[in-house]
Amino acid sequence: MWIYKKKLEYPINIKNKDLRMAKYLVTQYGGPAGELSAAWQYLNQRYTMPDEKGKALLTDIGTEELAHVEMISTMIYQLTNGATVEEMEAAGLGSNYAQFGMDLFPSDSFGNPFTMAYIKTAGDPIANIESDMAAEQRARATYEHLMDMTNDPDILGPLSFLRQREIIHYQRFKELRNYYLDIQKKNS
Amino acid sequence: MYNYQNKNLDYYNYSNDNFNQPIYTEDANANALYDPYQGFIRGNMFPNLYNAYKLNQPLDITPMNEKEQLLIFLDALSFATIDMNLYLDLYQNDKDMIALFNQYRMEANKLRTEYESKYGPILVDSDASNVYPWAWDNRPWPWENQ
Repeated sequence: MWIYKKKLEYPINIKNKDLRMAKYLVTQYGGPAGELSAAWQYLNQRYTMPDEKGKALLTDIGTEELAHVEMISTMIYQLTNGATVEEMEAAGLGSNYAQFGMDLFPSDSFGNPFTMAYIKTAGDPIANIESDMAAEQRARATYEHLMDMTNDPDILGPLSFLRQREIIHYQRFKELRNYYLDIQKKNS
Repeated sequence: MYNYQNKNLDYYNYSNDNFNQPIYTEDANANALYDPYQGFIRGNMFPNLYNAYKLNQPLDITPMNEKEQLLIFLDALSFATIDMNLYLDLYQNDKDMIALFNQYRMEANKLRTEYESKYGPILVDSDASNVYPWAWDNRPWPWENQ
């Protein structure tokens, strides 16, 4: 089960509304390298991991990704909060307003809805963990692209934090992958 | 319109060189970790894994009041345990790291209790829920600007 902690993993207080960045950021909510996709990929793979290290790591990183879904959602909420219909339309978010009003919706930055088809699982721990390493690298790259597109410290702080988490997660997945490869070598 | 040329921060003096280097942390030294606040603002407790992008130094988080200051201390200690948890999942025999994890865990629990007694529950099953009227649904929710 999960328990809700009524706080963010890292504080977000964005003072300036910025619909342009909200439109791009949404991909880290519901896009192919987004946090929702990562969370469910790891939490879905954990059941069949071969040992306790894998089960623990996928549970804990998957859980942290849920906290990152909340961070990204918070950023989108604050970046769009109080926007007028005219501002939404001018920022290319008129279709969002038509379909969802001011609600959030998990999509990529083109507006394609989130799909579970993004998540990878292959019935093989090495294949699974290498897909997790790739997911972390793609998310890191996306965060760098997003950081390239703003100079607002209120946005850069959380994006930089999230990018760094991808680096740590990648490192831990890589260590787990190497550990399994060593066992395979010894057993062959 | 947005301005890419902020004068206050040196955005383009960064190093991305160490990212794909094979760094292993089997011999991570608990004493060499960042302190919780320095790790927290970096998103990383492990100096040998730290990799900056765009920002030439991590951004400090400036509290507006006593409540925010307390929450930042709590966030930092919670973060330290999250990051060390991931490491310990793979290195279960690292005695020093387990000791440090538990030190931060206890400090975080103490700070959480202090915060909750002043500003309301962070966990619904905390003692701070034993109040009238029901306090759990009080604002602000985490996504609301302070």
